[in-house]
Amino acid sequence: MNDRLKQAFNKIQAEEELKNSTKAFLYQKTKGYASAKITRYRRLLPAIACFLLVIFGGYWLYFTPTVEISIDVNPSIELGVNRFDKIISVSSYNNDGQELVDSLDIKYLDYAQAIDQILRNESVNALLSNNEVMTIGVIGSDNAQSAKVLSVIESYTDQESNTYCYYADPDEVEQAHEMGLSYGKYRAFLKLETLDSTITAEKIQNMTMREIRDLIDELSTCSDTGESLEDNKESGGHGAGNRFGHEQGNGRGASRSER
Amino acid sequence: MRSEQEVNRAIEQYSDMIRRLCMIHLKNYADTEDIFQTVFLKYVLSSVSFESKEHEKAWFIRVTINACKDLLKSFIRSRTISLDEIIEQPSEMSVDDRDVLEAVLSLPQKYKDVVYLHYYEDYTAPQISRILGKNVNTIYTLITRSKRLLREKLGGDGYE
Repeated sequence: MNDRLKQAFNKIQAEEELKNSTKAFLYQKTKGYASAKITRYRRLLPAIACFLLVIFGGYWLYFTPTVEISIDVNPSIELGVNRFDKIISVSSYNNDGQELVDSLDIKYLDYAQAIDQILRNESVNALLSNNEVMTIGVIGSDNAQSAKVLSVIESYTDQESNTYCYYADPDEVEQAHEMGLSYGKYRAFLKLETLDSTITAEKIQNMTMREIRDLIDELSTCSDTGESLEDNKESGGHGAGNRFGHEQGNGRGASRSER
Repeated sequence: MRSEQEVNRAIEQYSDMIRRLCMIHLKNYADTEDIFQTVFLKYVLSSVSFESKEHEKAWFIRVTINACKDLLKSFIRSRTISLDEIIEQPSEMSVDDRDVLEAVLSLPQKYKDVVYLHYYEDYTAPQISRILGKNVNTIYTLITRSKRLLREKLGGDGYE
């Protein structure tokens, strides 16, 4: 009976038509076996988009520098400050600058704390007490924030006799970076260039601000009266940091008139 | 979701078996089509990963039988079944095959699965008990009784 049963059941086979109609049904039901995945994926799209927006938007908000602080003694460094007043990047523009950057731990600190730390830094202090000149530039397109940063930095440097603060426009800073100079040095370079066309960016890069200022003084005394007048005015700032600082209190105006 | 390739392979592999299970449960071709669609759609959408071919086969048996039972629950139909209604090409069958199948179909519902799985698919009683989720002893009893019933209907010739 086993065999008879097997034989009889063997005769029962799924008709090709049945198989094909089942395949067609499944194909239609699953919309070609593909769209089910896509539909599921599509349903997630808004969520993914929101997620990415938050991630990248947050990243962009936080990691876009709105203000840069350029500090030059001889170490030339620049601090990128984001819209939340945090330091997000620290870059150096010469070897001394790199050493200074390595000795600092200011990333993600509030910029005021960072400036404080730099001013308290031993090597910076040593340089300043050695009658070196320090310039601190605030570069930013966001005027309100730049003005605030500038005034905060000025309040920190009130007591320093040979520290100068200024404000600059971001467009000029790009040119400075293209030449591999921090903005403070670039400003000095532009000034030197009018006095001595042989001067190069490489030469400036490793000079201290004091040396550069002295060089400007030296060159300007041998040049035309008009220029020397202007430079005398600048050199007048050397000893009287405080007065200069005040003058730079509306530093934006000052730097603009220089341009 | 499973791929088209995978599903087509399963259709080729298990269609005959599902067709036979449908035959012993259902009463017409349209229902068989329904079951095919239900079973394979379930397969397409299920995320069960099968440990082996045997596992997969057992899954198909279970799903098909359950689908048939569900379908029958929703239809109240007469219990008399004509083979012609179920099978599209009954003319190709010999008289003997027809007799055997008619005999199987005339068995009470609870015997049919056991008869098919035991005599045709060669599953043992413990295996059937696992597939159908029934006690092993129940399966032994069903096998013994179905043997007797079939012998009564078909005569003892060629019996084991």
